[in-house]
Amino acid sequence: MTGWRSAGFFYGEAPVHEYAVTEGILAIVQEEAVKAGASRVDEIVIMIGELSTFVDESIDLYFAELSKGTVAERARLVFNRVEARADCLACKAEFRPLSALYSCPECGSPLCHLKEGSELYIDSIEAT
Amino acid sequence: MRIEVKQNILADNSRAAAANRLRLLESGVCLVNLMAAPGAGKTSTIIKAIESLQGDISMAVIEGDIASEIDALTIESMDVPAIQINTGGACHLTATMVTQALDHLDLASLDLIIIENVGNLVCPAEFDLGESSRVMISSITEGHDKPQKYPLMFREVEAVIINKVDLLPYCDFDMENFRGVVNSLNPSVQIFELSCRDGAGAQNWCEWLAGTVTRSRATHSR
Repeated sequence: MTGWRSAGFFYGEAPVHEYAVTEGILAIVQEEAVKAGASRVDEIVIMIGELSTFVDESIDLYFAELSKGTVAERARLVFNRVEARADCLACKAEFRPLSALYSCPECGSPLCHLKEGSELYIDSIEAT
Repeated sequence: MRIEVKQNILADNSRAAAANRLRLLESGVCLVNLMAAPGAGKTSTIIKAIESLQGDISMAVIEGDIASEIDALTIESMDVPAIQINTGGACHLTATMVTQALDHLDLASLDLIIIENVGNLVCPAEFDLGESSRVMISSITEGHDKPQKYPLMFREVEAVIINKVDLLPYCDFDMENFRGVVNSLNPSVQIFELSCRDGAGAQNWCEWLAGTVTRSRATHSR
């Protein structure tokens, strides 16, 4: 078979998925700081849905390393958990799923729409 | 000063995934994201699909691993184009990595690309790659409790393959319990019992995969 060639890609050290998230946080924060003409970012408020799999401590750890030499070097990370909310598609009840193994507490149906609880976004930053 | 940001942290990945999806739709290529724990039989399951569908469906494979080219070389030896991505430690593929791999494939000549994601039951479920379909494998030796321990992935897929069913007599795997939990997490999911070792169940999985490609073609021609 001809007409194609194999290729390989190598990406640098980038363990666990919080690394990618931390890179995303820094990129947004740096962009916002430039837009606002800020010289220092003091605090970053991050909203994480309580059913998302991202771990605060892990993001903190990568942030300390990745932010060195940037405008956000000494910024404090504040993690706010967003309470999960779901609608049952069968009986229309609204409820708070307590774990990722959720089903409707009223009728037991697993067919539910998770409308809140999987968020991952930067709410605001405090800058000087 | 307080700056209101309200910006999704994974927005870059979502944008890249949407671009991949559009590009594949325009080329009429079906992209399947295959996820599983290390050693569940992802490569073996892809090999079964190649053996069954080669000739009828033009395929390529994108291999995601932390290191090594072992899987890409295995696929290439079957005369199927393979792109190896080494993540260098990252536990999942991102949409941008897939974009770069797509650049190296002749999309016009392909019907189906299977992505073998990095072996992991957690992170890959959080990253959209632009796939048309998500499939996962859970193998008998991993135990029947995995749907309870990793519910996100079981909830997010269209099909679950239970591999290594030839080992059922030697393991304490409770099939009824496994199927019950999977169905309660994801009532519309397709479940395939498979043994890549002796080929049992391979026909059902390959027919479903071929059907997915046909459905994707129908969308393209509309």
